[in-house]
Amino acid sequence: MTPKRILPVDDDRDTGGFFAAAKERRLVVRSCESCGANLHLPRAYCYHCGSFATAWRETAGRGTLHAWTVVEHQIHPAYEVPYTVVLVDLDDAPDVRLVGNIPGRPLLEAGMPMQVWWDDVDGQVVLPNWEPATA
Amino acid sequence: MSDVEFSHRDRCSIAGIGSTEFSKNSERSELTMATQATLAALADAGLTTDDVDGIVQCDHDLVTYNDLSESLGLRNVTYYATVGPGGIAPAGMVAQAVGAIMSGQAKTIVLYRALNGRSGRRFGAGVPGMEYERVGGSQRWDEFFLPYGLVTPGQFFALLAQRHMTEFGTTSAQLGQIAVTCRERANANPAAQMYDRKLSLDDYFNGRMISNPLRLFDFCLETDGACAVVITSTERARDLRQPPAVIRAVAQRTMRGGQGGTMFPVLARKSITSMAAKPLSKTLFERAGLGPSDVDVAQFYDCFTITLLLQLSDYGFCATDEAGAFVESGALEMTGSIPVNTAGGNMSEGYIHGMNHVLEGVRQMRGTSTSQVSGAEVCLVTSAPPISSSAMILTKG
Repeated sequence: MTPKRILPVDDDRDTGGFFAAAKERRLVVRSCESCGANLHLPRAYCYHCGSFATAWRETAGRGTLHAWTVVEHQIHPAYEVPYTVVLVDLDDAPDVRLVGNIPGRPLLEAGMPMQVWWDDVDGQVVLPNWEPATA
Repeated sequence: MSDVEFSHRDRCSIAGIGSTEFSKNSERSELTMATQATLAALADAGLTTDDVDGIVQCDHDLVTYNDLSESLGLRNVTYYATVGPGGIAPAGMVAQAVGAIMSGQAKTIVLYRALNGRSGRRFGAGVPGMEYERVGGSQRWDEFFLPYGLVTPGQFFALLAQRHMTEFGTTSAQLGQIAVTCRERANANPAAQMYDRKLSLDDYFNGRMISNPLRLFDFCLETDGACAVVITSTERARDLRQPPAVIRAVAQRTMRGGQGGTMFPVLARKSITSMAAKPLSKTLFERAGLGPSDVDVAQFYDCFTITLLLQLSDYGFCATDEAGAFVESGALEMTGSIPVNTAGGNMSEGYIHGMNHVLEGVRQMRGTSTSQVSGAEVCLVTSAPPISSSAMILTKG
């Protein structure tokens, strides 16, 4: 039996909206409707301006590579080494950083443009994932 | 300090230290080891279990304060606390003890950390939660990290190291030097797990890659063992068996924008090359009325080489972009400006989650370290730096 990937809890009251949008192929971040600040990791209260008027805001799905690591030592059976974990800063929300997974040892460069792709995990959840941008 | 109504500076001391052996298999329970380490610390101080009226536990410890109390048959406990998270705890535990003593809630407080970190659940095997089908929710934040195959502290710190290399040109040789330095200290310490195993920079580079750029020897040990300390007022400590290791100052700190959770959320911070240790160090040095140049020796929490490196600049021993060069210059050696981890650290002495650093700090202040810094009077002891942090400064009693 193929080992199963780790799934996110996708119905948390603060974070569930991220995965609900991902199911619709929309990449969203939590944002303050009062002052525009992005709240990441997602939470309900904006400490910048003191407002609870926060909501999910759609983003373009483009980002910049912040850091990465090629995992060589096998830990979890569903994630076969080598694979690369990437950290991506969103272009239209630079204070939001998301995580991605690229199989193997791709050729990467700090600051390179990245784009989101929709990773359907066994029909159970859709994860926003990241790869080097094409064009 | 004049606008502070209450000051703990110099008022409390570590009066006793105790430890089990460090091994790959203790062949006994964490509770047994915690009991042994505590009894040893009390004997070291010249105290008995009847003297103990306070206990502070690390939140990751499988031995609860009441388990330890019951094991020892304590009669008089009037204060207990749990501090975390994990490796961030030890100096924070000291902070709780100091608070309890200064507020009259207890006089003789035991701190302990016991773990079968090699024969039991190993840190390197993957974070708790990894074995669940679904992860995250309720402020665990794992839903943003684990599904991408990010499952160990090693991978987490590898990302920090990789970014440090991008931002500052830090090299693997510089990280390797930290491993070599800690190993050399362990080679002089018969109680260290790596006492009779040498490590050269060649050995470091020959170690297998675990999560790039971190190799085998960038990682600390996984250990079965326990450590304990006894804290009381400095005045009382002076009448006990050992010269007091005076707690000059202790501090805990979180930072705005520091993120919640325990570890992975650090990756969502603006900067992943400066940790909570940075604002913490300001608070600590302010409370101590000292600066980095006053520190004679330091015990840096070192779950990985990069962990130690990050603290060098966060604590102000060097500029942020010079940490690698600082290491290369020999600053961390016995002959350097800031000898570190003189018993071998988590890297080579044993991994008792940073509690072993507290014990070594005390030894340096007593003059009994196996790598004693001549004339050392001020020792910095740090706990883990990332999400929140804690640290203390000890002085010679």
